[in-house]
Amino acid sequence: MSLVEAPAAAPARRGAATARLLRSELRLVFGRLRNLVLLAGLAAVPLLIGTVLLVTQDTPVAGQGPPFLDRVTGNGLFLVLAALVSCLPFLLPLCVAIVAGDAVAGEAATGTLRYLLVVPVSRTRLLLVKAVAVLAFAGAAVAAIAVTGLIAGAAFFGVGDVTLLSGDTVPLADGLLRALGVVAYVALSLTGLVAVGLFFSTLTEVPVAAMASTVVVAIVSGVLDALPQLSAVHPWLLTHHWLDLGEFLRLQVDVSVLLAGLAVQAAWVAIFGTLAWSRFTTADVSS
Amino acid sequence: MDTTRTLSPRARWTIPAVVAGAVAAAFVLPGALGATADDDLPALTADQLVDRVANADPVPVSGTVVYTARLGLPDVTVPELQGAGPLDLLGGSSTVRVWSDGEDSSRAALLGPVSEYSVVRDGPEAWTYSSADDEAVHYVVDPADQERYDELAEKAAAPPVDGDLPTPDEAADLLLAYARTTTDIDTTGPVEVAGRAAYQLEMSPRTDGTLVDRVRVAVDAETFVPLRTQVWGVGDTEVPAVEVGFTDVSFEAPDPSVFDFSAPAGADVREVVVPLPEPGAMEQPPAADLGGGEGFAVRGTGWETVVELTDVDVDAILGAAAEGRLPEGGTGSSGAEALLDELAPTEDGEMPGLPELDTRALYEQLTTEVDGGRLLTSALLSVLVTDDGRVLAGAVPPATLEELAG
Repeated sequence: MSLVEAPAAAPARRGAATARLLRSELRLVFGRLRNLVLLAGLAAVPLLIGTVLLVTQDTPVAGQGPPFLDRVTGNGLFLVLAALVSCLPFLLPLCVAIVAGDAVAGEAATGTLRYLLVVPVSRTRLLLVKAVAVLAFAGAAVAAIAVTGLIAGAAFFGVGDVTLLSGDTVPLADGLLRALGVVAYVALSLTGLVAVGLFFSTLTEVPVAAMASTVVVAIVSGVLDALPQLSAVHPWLLTHHWLDLGEFLRLQVDVSVLLAGLAVQAAWVAIFGTLAWSRFTTADVSS
Repeated sequence: MDTTRTLSPRARWTIPAVVAGAVAAAFVLPGALGATADDDLPALTADQLVDRVANADPVPVSGTVVYTARLGLPDVTVPELQGAGPLDLLGGSSTVRVWSDGEDSSRAALLGPVSEYSVVRDGPEAWTYSSADDEAVHYVVDPADQERYDELAEKAAAPPVDGDLPTPDEAADLLLAYARTTTDIDTTGPVEVAGRAAYQLEMSPRTDGTLVDRVRVAVDAETFVPLRTQVWGVGDTEVPAVEVGFTDVSFEAPDPSVFDFSAPAGADVREVVVPLPEPGAMEQPPAADLGGGEGFAVRGTGWETVVELTDVDVDAILGAAAEGRLPEGGTGSSGAEALLDELAPTEDGEMPGLPELDTRALYEQLTTEVDGGRLLTSALLSVLVTDDGRVLAGAVPPATLEELAG
């Protein structure tokens, strides 16, 4: 596939080769029709929610549903938050798992992995390039929801001063900043899942297996998180801190809460990242 | 490529293991290290400690409080669906963020997943706000009482030290002497709470007739602000039945804007006028008027005290609460009124996101049918509601209540 661009024989500087590889990898991820459809599907979620709310806003069912949904008709900015919260349990992990699980296993399945390894870039760097490309997709997925959410929200309901969870009202600029924080936090919350997906992707040559296992990890984590008997292990679960994004909408944002959530993601990245590295750099690649 | 060639495959697989170990250590160690107590505190006797606490100047406090209840009550809430609300405090762990200026302004926010329940008090007015159902309740002092409130506030600001009233010192001594008739009071070794060195006071009832095994209060060694309270029931002397304490505390004055609350646009607002209690009514047990009856009796003393209300129309209360309000009439204490309102499960008649959590269903879920009434049992408190309209409550075993009820 993209190997043609990497002159295998040239003793090119390693940095330049890696950069080229990254560019081609990003082109690959964002050029693939399947991935674009995923992004479009995610972007459609806030449109769908916004349309439904617009139609039903004067009916008795208005104001029911997941967090933030009842606020949307009053302030379109909340459409961003409502859409993110709705996508967070399943849709976002699913899309990220599809791309992460495909990263290495997909190349192995189509027989292009061995050619990729001919590129004068170490396997470590190759894995890093793959990871960066998947992370970029995860960021794009969150951004797709947020941007369409903001546009649709503003168009349907208008935006204004933001009422926080504490009942205090902050100016729109402050609210936008907080929403940006939520978007960043959600994107970073997906890094652990990316690492898990990448690891599974190095284990198999069947992309679907890697994708499915990754989704299963996210879902099992969510199920375990709902069992009160396991409260001792809850803080370590991949998905436990995802909804801490609400912290951005409190009177005083407690950074330590957010850092605790990100630290758990960092721990998952460290463990599954090194596992993926061990596997990828020791595996015999025959296809 | 060079670096990846230098490691054998086996060595390569040890790296994730090492990383996993390091990660586990990074998460576990700070907690383990933080548990060590500071032994450098000058020793204080229980008497000295109580004196210090009684005489401490009020200081602003803010921080995060974690409240954990293991009362053995059935789980009646689904915070993920309902949002944070006062009912969460019946069981499990809740996180509350608090701010206080040390005087008459304070704020507490009960945190739920993507929801919050706030109680803000600023002098004579108070607000509660629930993010889940976007409803604010505004409590104000009855205008007729406003003058008297100001007077009281002034008096509280500059309390008369001399005269017939005991000084805080003497008051503390009196209190301690009184408490000692029923309770063993002692200090334990210093502890660390929320990263601060703290003295700890331990109170154990002398009687066997109560559900309370012991109470421990940890007091900051510098400001003498209570940082943590733990109550053990006799059923489980290892794990506290109720534990509430700071996990993070600061004694700097919070930004005054924290106490400046007004209902957000679009929220449902309910106004409640709180009558100020008549002079001398402060000592009245707050629940006396709850059922509209006169009957109120205290049976037993000390830890075995049982409060008995007669002529309580349980059906009326359940019905009234289901309609969205407590029975009319003050409870005799503005604090208790506010508290009751906060704790009344269906104060607003609807639980967000769920079919209404019916007060009666809740009552029936929490209590069990016994001979001649319904009984609520928990690790620390028993309440017996008899069919003839009496309510007995106390930190005593249920059998004691049934015996008293006859």
